[in-house]
Amino acid sequence: MNEAMLHVREFLPLLLEGALITVQVTILSFLLSSAIGLFVALLRVSHIAALRAVAKTYINVIRGLPIIVQLFYIYFVLPDFNIELSAFQSGVIGLGIAYSAYQAENFRAGIEAVDSGQREAAQAIGMRMPLMMRRVILPQAFKIALPPYGNILVMMLKDSSLVSTITVAELTRQGQLIATSTFQNTTVYTMVAIMYLVLSLPLVWVLNRIEAHLKTRKAHD
Amino acid sequence: MIEVANLQKSFGKHAVLKGVSLSVEPGEVVCLIGPSGSGKSTILRCLNGLESYDGGEVRISGRLVDQASRDIHDIRASLGMVFQRFNLFSHRTVMQNIIEGPVYVKRETVDQARARAAELLDKVGLKGKEDAYPAELSGGQQQRVAIARALAMQPDAMLFDEPTSALDPELVGDVLHVMRDLAEEGMTMVVVTHEMGFAREVSDRVCFLYDGRILEEGPSKQVLGHPENPRTQDFLRRVLHPDAQEDA
Repeated sequence: MNEAMLHVREFLPLLLEGALITVQVTILSFLLSSAIGLFVALLRVSHIAALRAVAKTYINVIRGLPIIVQLFYIYFVLPDFNIELSAFQSGVIGLGIAYSAYQAENFRAGIEAVDSGQREAAQAIGMRMPLMMRRVILPQAFKIALPPYGNILVMMLKDSSLVSTITVAELTRQGQLIATSTFQNTTVYTMVAIMYLVLSLPLVWVLNRIEAHLKTRKAHD
Repeated sequence: MIEVANLQKSFGKHAVLKGVSLSVEPGEVVCLIGPSGSGKSTILRCLNGLESYDGGEVRISGRLVDQASRDIHDIRASLGMVFQRFNLFSHRTVMQNIIEGPVYVKRETVDQARARAAELLDKVGLKGKEDAYPAELSGGQQQRVAIARALAMQPDAMLFDEPTSALDPELVGDVLHVMRDLAEEGMTMVVVTHEMGFAREVSDRVCFLYDGRILEEGPSKQVLGHPENPRTQDFLRRVLHPDAQEDA
């Protein structure tokens, strides 16, 4: 037991470094996927059929590809076209694109769930499409899309471990490296698991609170 | 100021409007009555281009109403619309609802818009409700805020789409009262309604719609008091005496 504690103390700094990278990858790719997702969602609800078709194709293609294959494509194939990205950049961009399709569908669902009367009222006072989106539709759509939006963040935290496959030294990768060089599989992977939980459980707790808050507000309406 | 000529509209195979012509002069109050499905609301929604149409034309102050045209937004801003289900912006307070159009569409200053909004709230009898959210108001109060929101755009005419149909009976009076005041001030109004009392007392003219056509049109007292068309007679009998037995 004492020996295990020594190992814990020995591995902890390296794993914490990995956890920091995990947090960075998660936050950056979450922001990227949100931006792309919102853009694609707006195309998806456009009144121009060609834009809708482009958005739909993008969503289907991205959703139809395994995330690991997308990561490999960016990290290993793009250099053949003289696009050289670091492993970290590839990881953030790959995860960001992979999740943008889910973000887009979530935002779209939120936009479509806003009562059509709100749109008509906005049109009736002379609002053009961009103003109506910004002032009337999106603020209400975000509220509807918020609980699934939070779930996507939790899923991305866990799926950030996929970037270990392209050598990004995040938590899972660090654990793997330590485990293969020390054979302390039990200690290492237990630590890794606990560190993921330390990151994700508070997030889940906050999300549940927000969801409960929205529910009581709705009941109040 | 409102000119409708031979307006036609279908939803799929179902023809809703089969050639409706109507003109409304400035200051006139016109009520559209008729059974549900007769096309009254569709006419109203064609006036500000919320609905497209398939034939004929609609002109507001001479400008053609066309959803694809550049000035459709200006035309809409010149017409206030009040909906059956109020459609207040549910994420904004009463005051924010009223100044939304003036500030963001007409680019007025917030101070200017707030000053007029305060006057309008007083006018519709809701002074003190500035910071309430729509969900905190009764249906009648929401509808009066919706009227204030439409008036805040200083429209040339007001369109009312069954403004009291979604209200509890005891709340109808307050809304009709506000509309009556507006009519007396000389506002041009087109009102789709089932309130025959309002139509008789306030409107200059009544149009009876049936199956996508205007079957009878004239001064309100004439159409409502001495209808000539048998369908108008039948409709009025049902509306005014809903308990009476139907004749075959």
